[in-house]
Amino acid sequence: MAGDRFSRLHTTLARGSHHDNRPDKGIPLPVGVKMLLALTLSCLAFLARTETFLGMVTAANLLVFVLLRPQGVSWWRQGRLFVFQTTVIVVLYILRFGSLAGVRDGLLISWQLFLAFWPTMVFAKTTSQAKIVRAMNRIMPSRMSFVMATCLKFAPHLLEEVRDIYEGQVLRGARILPKDLARPWNWPDLVHCVVVPAVVQGMALAGNIALAARVRDFGLHSRRTCWPGD
Amino acid sequence: MMTRLSARFCEKFRLPLKDALFLGFCAVFAVLTRVALRLHLHISGHAMIIKVFFLMLARGSTPCLYGASFTALLAGTAAMFLGFAKAGPLIIVKYLVTGIVIDAGAFLLPMLFRSYVLCALVAGAASSTKFFTAYGINALVGMDPVVNLQRSLLEAAGAVVFGVAGGLMVPMVVRRLKAYDVIK
Repeated sequence: MAGDRFSRLHTTLARGSHHDNRPDKGIPLPVGVKMLLALTLSCLAFLARTETFLGMVTAANLLVFVLLRPQGVSWWRQGRLFVFQTTVIVVLYILRFGSLAGVRDGLLISWQLFLAFWPTMVFAKTTSQAKIVRAMNRIMPSRMSFVMATCLKFAPHLLEEVRDIYEGQVLRGARILPKDLARPWNWPDLVHCVVVPAVVQGMALAGNIALAARVRDFGLHSRRTCWPGD
Repeated sequence: MMTRLSARFCEKFRLPLKDALFLGFCAVFAVLTRVALRLHLHISGHAMIIKVFFLMLARGSTPCLYGASFTALLAGTAAMFLGFAKAGPLIIVKYLVTGIVIDAGAFLLPMLFRSYVLCALVAGAASSTKFFTAYGINALVGMDPVVNLQRSLLEAAGAVVFGVAGGLMVPMVVRRLKAYDVIK
């Protein structure tokens, strides 16, 4: 079970770097424009105080969704989040106002919160990791964006190492299988057998990458001069 | 004397690339572990166990004074752009506030990462920031103040419990890393 999750995560991460080769299904907008659009729609949702305004923001979100056509949106996950959030808010509103009059307000607030976070999801689903990192390089300090890009790039590699450590420890009889981890007194085993070696491995990998970067004169120029694939 | 003092001050704030990359890995793993080990508990704040653990680990494993804040900034950015967050751009603020509290705790309590009690306290304080961020977001959308207070308190209570659990794992790891001479 844990192995399956590792595999799925690894596949998702590895796919991220090849996403650039796939043609966009929707209108190919520049990353900066998409980022600005997502931010504006998110802010508008926060500002919406009337039903008409909220309806207009919803329509704008629908239009952007149709134009950009994001792939791989988990409707089940989004729906579940919305239902859970709405239930909590509506129940609290009913308790507060003591009648069903709070239901409408609760639903509106919940929808507003959903609309505030929806554009970022659409942005992330329609933009590849590489493009996002490249766009970030324009707004973040170059050293920070390099760290970010490198860590995202090497995350599948480190994940693979963590998986090897996990499987090796399971073979050695460590009580870290999912059914063992349901008992909290086995959690220290997970820390000692997997987390500590994984941290050591992470530090070693960071040291190797830093050394390689230094050898390649990292830091000589203020902005990044080399992008893989250019 | 002044030159030596300023050199020492600069040294304190300098972040070597190796440490920066390690903090980056902590940030990426803080986001990925949250996704991989999704607990389906439907208890608000259960993600805090992972967030606090990785942020405190980042601060405890590097001498950098702003290690947790730097990791938090990277984790927030990664979570936002990878679409793993349900809080949009505000996820950065959520991570950053937690990181700042951890850094402040580590600055004020030099023995922090050796003591379970201190770690639990700082983890609790860092997790309680969930109340302020949740209250701020709900206030922005115009939620009724009383409902907002109740909802934010509910969220923060869960976050503190899980955050303390995450914080209690940190001294264990830091002690082992020190024993293996991986960190000084």
